[in-house]
Amino acid sequence: MEQSRKWWRFGVNRWFVLLFIVLNVIAVSAYPPLRPHIQLPAEALTEQPLFIFPLVNAPVYLTNTLVATLIGDILLLLIGFGVWRAVGSGQMVPRGLSGAVEAFIEVLYNLTESTAGKWAKRIFPYFATITLLVLVLNWMELIPGVDSIGFFNERHIENPFECSFVQLPLGAVGITGASNECVKGVIPFVRATATDLNFTLALALIAVVMVQVIGVRAQGLSYFSKFLNVKTFFTKPVFGVIDFGVGILELVSEFSKIFSFAFRLFGNIFAGSVLLFVIGTLVPVFAQSGVLMLEFFVGAIQAVVFGLLTMTFMAQATQSHGGEGHEESH
Amino acid sequence: MEGDFVQGAKMIGAGLAMIGTIGAGAGIGIVVSGAVQAMGRNPDFSGTIQTNMILGIAFAEAVAIYCLVVALLLLFAV
Repeated sequence: MEQSRKWWRFGVNRWFVLLFIVLNVIAVSAYPPLRPHIQLPAEALTEQPLFIFPLVNAPVYLTNTLVATLIGDILLLLIGFGVWRAVGSGQMVPRGLSGAVEAFIEVLYNLTESTAGKWAKRIFPYFATITLLVLVLNWMELIPGVDSIGFFNERHIENPFECSFVQLPLGAVGITGASNECVKGVIPFVRATATDLNFTLALALIAVVMVQVIGVRAQGLSYFSKFLNVKTFFTKPVFGVIDFGVGILELVSEFSKIFSFAFRLFGNIFAGSVLLFVIGTLVPVFAQSGVLMLEFFVGAIQAVVFGLLTMTFMAQATQSHGGEGHEESH
Repeated sequence: MEGDFVQGAKMIGAGLAMIGTIGAGAGIGIVVSGAVQAMGRNPDFSGTIQTNMILGIAFAEAVAIYCLVVALLLLFAV
Protein backbone atom coordinates (compact mmCIF):
# COMPACT_ATOMS: atom_id res chain seq x y z
CA MET A 1 0.00 0.00 0.00
CA GLU A 2 2.67 2.41 1.11
CA GLN A 3 4.91 1.28 -1.69
CA SER A 4 2.29 1.74 -4.40
CA ARG A 5 1.30 5.15 -3.21
CA LYS A 6 4.92 6.21 -3.19
CA TRP A 7 5.32 4.94 -6.73
CA TRP A 8 2.34 6.93 -7.82
CA ARG A 9 3.55 10.04 -6.13
CA PHE A 10 6.87 9.98 -7.92
CA GLY A 11 5.50 9.00 -11.29
CA VAL A 12 6.73 10.64 -14.44
CA ASN A 13 3.40 11.48 -15.98
CA ARG A 14 2.90 14.68 -14.07
CA TRP A 15 6.24 15.97 -15.29
CA PHE A 16 5.01 15.41 -18.80
CA VAL A 17 1.87 17.38 -17.92
CA LEU A 18 4.01 20.16 -16.47
CA LEU A 19 6.22 20.14 -19.55
CA PHE A 20 3.20 20.47 -21.81
CA ILE A 21 1.82 23.34 -19.74
CA VAL A 22 5.15 25.17 -19.99
CA LEU A 23 5.28 24.54 -23.73
CA ASN A 24 1.70 25.78 -23.93
CA VAL A 25 2.61 29.02 -22.15
CA ILE A 26 5.55 29.58 -24.50
CA ALA A 27 3.46 28.85 -27.58
CA VAL A 28 0.67 31.15 -26.46
CA SER A 29 3.04 34.03 -25.73
CA ALA A 30 4.59 33.56 -29.16
CA TYR A 31 1.30 33.24 -31.06
CA PRO A 32 -1.64 34.76 -29.16
CA PRO A 33 -4.93 33.01 -29.87
CA LEU A 34 -7.31 34.38 -32.45
CA ARG A 35 -10.77 35.44 -31.58
CA PRO A 36 -12.72 32.54 -33.00
CA HIS A 37 -15.26 33.00 -35.73
CA ILE A 38 -18.29 30.95 -34.82
CA GLN A 39 -20.56 30.03 -37.66
CA LEU A 40 -23.68 27.95 -37.48
CA PRO A 41 -23.77 26.19 -40.88
CA ALA A 42 -20.91 23.90 -41.71
CA GLU A 43 -18.11 25.45 -43.74
CA ALA A 44 -17.45 24.20 -47.23
CA LEU A 45 -13.93 22.98 -47.85
CA THR A 46 -13.97 23.24 -51.64
CA GLU A 47 -14.95 26.21 -53.74
CA GLN A 48 -16.74 24.10 -56.32
CA PRO A 49 -19.69 22.00 -55.23
CA LEU A 50 -19.18 18.25 -55.33
CA PHE A 51 -22.29 17.74 -57.43
CA ILE A 52 -25.63 19.39 -58.02
CA PHE A 53 -28.44 17.54 -56.35
CA PRO A 54 -30.70 16.70 -59.28
CA LEU A 55 -34.29 17.21 -58.14
CA VAL A 56 -34.13 20.42 -56.16
CA ASN A 57 -31.10 21.78 -58.06
CA ALA A 58 -29.15 22.41 -54.86
CA PRO A 59 -25.35 22.33 -54.87
CA VAL A 60 -23.79 19.86 -52.43
CA TYR A 61 -20.44 20.92 -51.02
CA LEU A 62 -17.81 18.90 -49.24
CA THR A 63 -18.27 20.39 -45.78
CA ASN A 64 -16.06 19.75 -42.80
CA THR A 65 -18.85 18.02 -40.88
CA LEU A 66 -19.23 15.65 -43.84
CA VAL A 67 -15.53 14.81 -43.53
CA ALA A 68 -16.05 14.13 -39.83
CA THR A 69 -18.99 11.85 -40.60
CA LEU A 70 -16.93 9.87 -43.10
CA ILE A 71 -14.05 9.49 -40.61
CA GLY A 72 -16.50 8.37 -37.94
CA ASP A 73 -18.01 5.82 -40.32
CA ILE A 74 -14.58 4.43 -41.11
CA LEU A 75 -13.76 4.20 -37.38
CA LEU A 76 -17.02 2.34 -36.75
CA LEU A 77 -16.34 -0.03 -39.63
CA LEU A 78 -12.84 -0.71 -38.30
CA ILE A 79 -14.21 -1.43 -34.83
CA GLY A 80 -16.81 -3.73 -36.35
CA PHE A 81 -14.16 -5.52 -38.39
CA GLY A 82 -11.98 -5.99 -35.31
CA VAL A 83 -14.87 -7.40 -33.31
CA TRP A 84 -15.82 -9.67 -36.22
CA ARG A 85 -12.29 -11.07 -36.35
CA ALA A 86 -12.19 -11.51 -32.58
CA VAL A 87 -15.47 -13.43 -32.70
CA GLY A 88 -14.29 -15.54 -35.62
CA SER A 89 -11.03 -16.48 -33.91
CA GLY A 90 -12.87 -18.88 -31.65
CA GLN A 91 -12.13 -17.38 -28.25
CA MET A 92 -15.05 -17.71 -25.90
CA VAL A 93 -14.05 -14.66 -23.86
CA PRO A 94 -13.23 -11.71 -26.07
CA ARG A 95 -10.46 -9.43 -24.89
CA GLY A 96 -9.51 -5.84 -25.25
CA LEU A 97 -11.59 -3.66 -27.51
CA SER A 98 -13.97 -6.40 -28.60
CA GLY A 99 -14.63 -7.26 -24.95
CA ALA A 100 -15.50 -3.65 -24.25
CA VAL A 101 -17.79 -3.54 -27.27
CA GLU A 102 -19.43 -6.78 -26.18
CA ALA A 103 -20.10 -5.42 -22.69
CA PHE A 104 -21.52 -2.20 -24.13
CA ILE A 105 -23.79 -4.04 -26.58
CA GLU A 106 -24.95 -6.35 -23.82
CA VAL A 107 -25.95 -3.44 -21.61
CA LEU A 108 -27.88 -1.90 -24.50
CA TYR A 109 -29.59 -5.19 -25.32
CA ASN A 110 -30.66 -5.83 -21.74
CA LEU A 111 -32.09 -2.32 -21.62
CA THR A 112 -34.04 -2.95 -24.82
CA GLU A 113 -35.32 -6.29 -23.60
CA SER A 114 -36.55 -4.86 -20.30
CA THR A 115 -38.43 -2.11 -22.13
CA ALA A 116 -39.66 -3.67 -25.36
CA GLY A 117 -40.16 -7.31 -24.41
CA LYS A 118 -40.49 -9.58 -27.41
CA TRP A 119 -39.94 -6.78 -29.90
CA ALA A 120 -36.40 -6.29 -28.62
CA LYS A 121 -34.84 -8.09 -31.60
CA ARG A 122 -36.52 -5.74 -34.08
CA ILE A 123 -35.88 -2.57 -32.11
CA PHE A 124 -32.35 -3.23 -30.91
CA PRO A 125 -30.51 -2.62 -34.25
CA TYR A 126 -31.84 0.94 -34.54
CA PHE A 127 -31.05 1.68 -30.91
CA ALA A 128 -27.51 0.32 -31.11
CA THR A 129 -26.74 1.90 -34.48
CA ILE A 130 -27.87 5.36 -33.44
CA THR A 131 -26.12 5.16 -30.09
CA LEU A 132 -22.82 3.90 -31.51
CA LEU A 133 -22.78 6.36 -34.41
CA VAL A 134 -23.59 9.39 -32.28
CA LEU A 135 -21.18 8.26 -29.58
CA VAL A 136 -18.24 7.90 -31.97
CA LEU A 137 -19.07 11.17 -33.74
CA ASN A 138 -19.40 13.05 -30.46
CA TRP A 139 -16.18 11.72 -29.03
CA MET A 140 -14.30 12.66 -32.19
CA GLU A 141 -14.54 16.21 -30.88
CA LEU A 142 -12.04 15.22 -28.16
CA ILE A 143 -9.29 14.30 -30.63
CA PRO A 144 -6.68 17.09 -30.80
CA GLY A 145 -6.82 18.85 -34.15
CA VAL A 146 -10.52 18.37 -34.73
CA ASP A 147 -12.13 21.83 -34.77
CA SER A 148 -8.73 23.52 -34.65
CA ILE A 149 -6.57 22.57 -37.65
CA GLY A 150 -7.69 23.96 -40.96
CA PHE A 151 -7.39 26.62 -43.62
CA PHE A 152 -6.42 30.01 -42.34
CA ASN A 153 -8.71 32.48 -44.03
CA GLU A 154 -7.19 35.92 -43.93
CA ARG A 155 -8.98 37.94 -46.51
CA HIS A 156 -10.52 41.32 -45.79
CA ILE A 157 -14.08 42.30 -45.21
CA GLU A 158 -13.86 45.08 -47.77
CA ASN A 159 -13.61 42.71 -50.73
CA PRO A 160 -16.39 40.23 -50.33
CA PHE A 161 -15.76 38.69 -53.73
CA GLU A 162 -12.26 37.59 -52.90
CA CYS A 163 -13.28 35.12 -50.28
CA SER A 164 -15.26 32.24 -51.56
CA PHE A 165 -14.51 29.84 -48.75
CA VAL A 166 -16.97 31.24 -46.28
CA GLN A 167 -19.87 31.08 -48.63
CA LEU A 168 -22.72 29.01 -47.45
CA PRO A 169 -23.16 25.42 -48.33
CA LEU A 170 -26.72 24.17 -48.00
CA GLY A 171 -28.22 26.50 -45.43
CA ALA A 172 -29.40 24.29 -42.64
CA VAL A 173 -33.20 24.16 -42.98
CA GLY A 174 -33.71 27.73 -43.98
CA ILE A 175 -31.38 29.20 -41.41
CA THR A 176 -29.05 31.33 -43.42
CA GLY A 177 -25.72 32.14 -41.86
CA ALA A 178 -24.09 35.52 -41.47
CA SER A 179 -21.39 35.12 -43.99
CA ASN A 180 -21.74 37.33 -46.99
CA GLU A 181 -18.78 39.20 -45.59
CA CYS A 182 -15.37 37.75 -45.12
CA VAL A 183 -13.91 36.94 -41.77
CA LYS A 184 -10.48 36.16 -40.50
CA GLY A 185 -10.24 32.81 -38.88
CA VAL A 186 -9.59 29.15 -39.14
CA ILE A 187 -11.88 26.93 -41.16
CA PRO A 188 -11.26 23.51 -39.65
CA PHE A 189 -10.85 20.48 -41.86
CA VAL A 190 -12.87 18.39 -39.45
CA ARG A 191 -15.66 19.73 -37.29
CA ALA A 192 -17.82 17.76 -34.87
CA THR A 193 -20.68 16.34 -36.90
CA ALA A 194 -23.49 17.07 -34.48
CA THR A 195 -22.77 20.81 -34.81
CA ASP A 196 -24.45 20.55 -38.22
CA LEU A 197 -28.22 20.80 -38.01
CA ASN A 198 -28.54 18.78 -41.22
CA PHE A 199 -27.06 15.70 -39.57
CA THR A 200 -29.18 15.81 -36.41
CA LEU A 201 -32.35 16.57 -38.36
CA ALA A 202 -31.69 13.66 -40.73
CA LEU A 203 -31.07 11.31 -37.82
CA ALA A 204 -34.23 12.51 -36.08
CA LEU A 205 -36.26 12.00 -39.27
CA ILE A 206 -34.90 8.46 -39.62
CA ALA A 207 -35.69 7.71 -35.97
CA VAL A 208 -39.27 9.03 -36.06
CA VAL A 209 -40.08 7.43 -39.43
CA MET A 210 -38.77 4.10 -38.20
CA VAL A 211 -40.94 4.45 -35.11
CA GLN A 212 -43.97 4.60 -37.40
CA VAL A 213 -42.69 1.62 -39.42
CA ILE A 214 -42.23 -0.45 -36.26
CA GLY A 215 -45.71 0.58 -35.11
CA VAL A 216 -47.28 -0.53 -38.41
CA ARG A 217 -45.39 -3.82 -38.30
CA ALA A 218 -46.60 -4.48 -34.78
CA GLN A 219 -50.25 -3.49 -35.13
CA GLY A 220 -50.97 -3.28 -38.82
CA LEU A 221 -53.06 -0.42 -40.09
CA SER A 222 -54.81 -0.08 -36.75
CA TYR A 223 -51.67 1.71 -35.61
CA PHE A 224 -52.94 4.84 -37.35
CA SER A 225 -56.12 4.82 -35.30
CA LYS A 226 -53.94 6.39 -32.64
CA PHE A 227 -53.81 9.53 -34.75
CA LEU A 228 -57.21 9.51 -36.44
CA ASN A 229 -59.36 8.23 -33.65
CA VAL A 230 -62.93 7.86 -35.02
CA LYS A 231 -63.76 4.63 -33.20
CA THR A 232 -65.66 6.33 -30.38
CA PHE A 233 -66.70 9.39 -32.36
CA PHE A 234 -70.30 8.30 -32.90
CA THR A 235 -70.81 5.95 -29.97
CA LYS A 236 -69.90 8.23 -27.08
CA PRO A 237 -71.45 11.71 -27.34
CA VAL A 238 -68.82 13.98 -25.78
CA PHE A 239 -65.84 11.79 -25.09
CA GLY A 240 -65.66 10.69 -28.70
CA VAL A 241 -64.84 14.24 -29.71
CA ILE A 242 -62.28 14.47 -26.94
CA ASP A 243 -60.70 11.22 -28.13
CA PHE A 244 -60.52 12.63 -31.64
CA GLY A 245 -58.80 15.75 -30.29
CA VAL A 246 -56.33 13.61 -28.37
CA GLY A 247 -55.52 11.79 -31.60
CA ILE A 248 -54.76 15.11 -33.30
CA LEU A 249 -52.52 16.02 -30.38
CA GLU A 250 -50.70 12.69 -30.81
CA LEU A 251 -50.10 13.59 -34.44
CA VAL A 252 -48.70 16.99 -33.47
CA SER A 253 -46.48 15.46 -30.81
CA GLU A 254 -45.10 13.05 -33.39
CA PHE A 255 -43.88 16.02 -35.42
CA SER A 256 -42.57 17.82 -32.39
CA LYS A 257 -40.51 14.74 -31.59
CA ILE A 258 -38.47 15.35 -34.74
CA PHE A 259 -37.51 18.86 -33.68
CA SER A 260 -36.99 17.80 -30.09
CA PHE A 261 -34.54 15.08 -31.17
CA ALA A 262 -32.73 17.31 -33.64
CA PHE A 263 -32.35 20.36 -31.43
CA ARG A 264 -31.40 18.44 -28.30
CA LEU A 265 -28.37 16.80 -29.90
CA PHE A 266 -27.45 19.86 -31.96
CA GLY A 267 -27.81 22.28 -29.05
CA ASN A 268 -25.73 20.25 -26.66
CA ILE A 269 -22.85 19.58 -29.00
CA PHE A 270 -22.81 23.03 -30.61
CA ALA A 271 -22.91 24.73 -27.22
CA GLY A 272 -20.05 22.49 -26.13
CA SER A 273 -17.90 23.43 -29.08
CA VAL A 274 -18.68 27.13 -28.63
CA LEU A 275 -17.67 26.76 -24.98
CA LEU A 276 -14.41 25.09 -26.06
CA PHE A 277 -13.66 27.94 -28.49
CA VAL A 278 -14.39 30.66 -25.97
CA ILE A 279 -12.47 29.03 -23.12
CA GLY A 280 -9.58 28.38 -25.49
CA THR A 281 -9.46 32.05 -26.39
CA LEU A 282 -9.91 33.49 -22.91
CA VAL A 283 -7.67 31.10 -20.97
CA PRO A 284 -5.47 29.41 -23.56
CA VAL A 285 -3.45 27.42 -21.03
CA PHE A 286 -4.77 24.16 -19.51
CA ALA A 287 -8.32 25.39 -18.81
CA GLN A 288 -9.70 23.63 -21.85
CA SER A 289 -8.92 20.25 -20.33
CA GLY A 290 -11.69 20.61 -17.78
CA VAL A 291 -14.19 21.55 -20.46
CA LEU A 292 -13.02 18.59 -22.54
CA MET A 293 -13.85 16.29 -19.64
CA LEU A 294 -17.32 17.85 -19.48
CA GLU A 295 -17.69 17.32 -23.22
CA PHE A 296 -16.73 13.66 -22.79
CA PHE A 297 -19.71 13.14 -20.48
CA VAL A 298 -22.08 15.30 -22.50
CA GLY A 299 -21.25 13.42 -25.68
CA ALA A 300 -21.83 10.04 -24.05
CA ILE A 301 -25.07 11.10 -22.35
CA GLN A 302 -26.51 12.66 -25.49
CA ALA A 303 -25.68 9.59 -27.57
CA VAL A 304 -27.35 7.29 -25.05
CA VAL A 305 -30.34 9.61 -24.65
CA PHE A 306 -30.91 9.82 -28.40
CA GLY A 307 -30.86 6.05 -28.74
CA LEU A 308 -32.83 5.46 -25.54
CA LEU A 309 -35.62 7.82 -26.56
CA THR A 310 -35.84 6.20 -29.99
CA MET A 311 -36.04 2.81 -28.33
CA THR A 312 -38.70 3.96 -25.87
CA PHE A 313 -40.85 5.49 -28.61
CA MET A 314 -40.53 2.31 -30.67
CA ALA A 315 -41.52 0.19 -27.68
CA GLN A 316 -44.53 2.46 -27.12
CA ALA A 317 -45.51 2.17 -30.77
CA THR A 318 -45.63 -1.62 -30.53
CA GLN A 319 -48.23 -1.46 -27.80
CA SER A 320 -51.77 -0.68 -28.84
CA HIS A 321 -53.37 2.38 -27.31
CA GLY A 322 -56.96 1.30 -27.71
CA GLY A 323 -59.19 0.82 -24.70
CA GLU A 324 -59.25 2.63 -21.42
CA GLY A 325 -56.48 1.09 -19.37
CA HIS A 326 -52.93 0.63 -20.61
CA GLU A 327 -52.53 -2.81 -22.01
CA GLU A 328 -49.52 -4.80 -21.01
CA SER A 329 -47.15 -5.72 -23.78
CA HIS A 330 -48.55 -8.80 -25.38
CA MET B 1 -23.54 53.17 -35.18
CA GLU B 2 -26.71 51.44 -36.23
CA GLY B 3 -24.85 48.16 -36.53
CA ASP B 4 -23.66 48.53 -32.95
CA PHE B 5 -27.23 49.07 -31.82
CA VAL B 6 -28.41 45.94 -33.64
CA GLN B 7 -25.51 43.95 -32.19
CA GLY B 8 -26.36 45.11 -28.69
CA ALA B 9 -30.02 44.27 -29.18
CA LYS B 10 -29.03 40.80 -30.36
CA MET B 11 -26.95 40.23 -27.26
CA ILE B 12 -29.72 41.43 -24.97
CA GLY B 13 -32.15 39.17 -26.78
CA ALA B 14 -29.84 36.21 -26.37
CA GLY B 15 -29.57 36.93 -22.67
CA LEU B 16 -33.34 37.20 -22.36
CA ALA B 17 -33.79 33.93 -24.20
CA MET B 18 -31.69 32.16 -21.62
CA ILE B 19 -34.15 33.10 -18.85
CA GLY B 20 -36.13 30.06 -19.89
CA THR B 21 -33.49 27.80 -18.42
CA ILE B 22 -34.78 28.61 -14.93
CA GLY B 23 -37.66 26.22 -15.46
CA ALA B 24 -35.42 23.46 -16.75
CA GLY B 25 -33.12 23.86 -13.77
CA ALA B 26 -35.99 23.58 -11.32
CA GLY B 27 -37.42 20.63 -13.25
CA ILE B 28 -34.15 18.70 -13.26
CA GLY B 29 -33.76 19.40 -9.55
CA ILE B 30 -37.21 17.97 -8.82
CA VAL B 31 -36.57 14.91 -11.00
CA VAL B 32 -33.25 14.11 -9.39
CA SER B 33 -34.51 14.68 -5.85
CA GLY B 34 -37.40 12.28 -6.46
CA ALA B 35 -35.12 9.71 -8.04
CA VAL B 36 -32.56 9.88 -5.24
CA GLN B 37 -35.27 9.48 -2.62
CA ALA B 38 -36.65 6.48 -4.47
CA MET B 39 -33.19 4.97 -4.69
CA GLY B 40 -32.74 5.51 -0.98
CA ARG B 41 -36.02 3.74 -0.25
CA ASN B 42 -35.32 0.70 -2.37
CA PRO B 43 -31.76 0.47 -3.66
CA ASP B 44 -32.51 -2.76 -5.54
CA PHE B 45 -34.31 -0.84 -8.27
CA SER B 46 -31.70 1.87 -8.60
CA GLY B 47 -30.81 0.75 -12.14
CA THR B 48 -34.36 1.14 -13.43
CA ILE B 49 -34.84 4.37 -11.54
CA GLN B 50 -31.62 5.75 -12.94
CA THR B 51 -32.64 5.01 -16.51
CA ASN B 52 -35.99 6.70 -16.06
CA MET B 53 -34.33 9.59 -14.27
CA ILE B 54 -31.96 10.20 -17.18
CA LEU B 55 -34.91 10.04 -19.56
CA GLY B 56 -36.81 12.63 -17.50
CA ILE B 57 -33.75 14.82 -17.25
CA ALA B 58 -33.37 14.68 -21.02
CA PHE B 59 -36.95 15.84 -21.47
CA ALA B 60 -36.54 18.69 -19.01
CA GLU B 61 -33.18 19.60 -20.42
CA ALA B 62 -34.58 19.78 -23.93
CA VAL B 63 -36.43 22.97 -22.98
CA ALA B 64 -33.22 24.57 -21.78
CA ILE B 65 -31.53 23.47 -24.98
CA TYR B 66 -34.25 25.17 -27.03
CA CYS B 67 -33.48 28.40 -25.18
CA LEU B 68 -29.82 27.86 -25.84
CA VAL B 69 -30.44 27.25 -29.53
CA VAL B 70 -32.50 30.43 -29.77
CA ALA B 71 -29.72 32.37 -28.05
CA LEU B 72 -27.05 30.88 -30.29
CA LEU B 73 -29.10 31.60 -33.39
CA LEU B 74 -29.51 35.22 -32.28
CA LEU B 75 -25.79 35.55 -31.65
CA PHE B 76 -24.33 33.76 -34.64
CA ALA B 77 -26.91 33.21 -37.34
CA VAL B 78 -29.42 36.07 -37.61
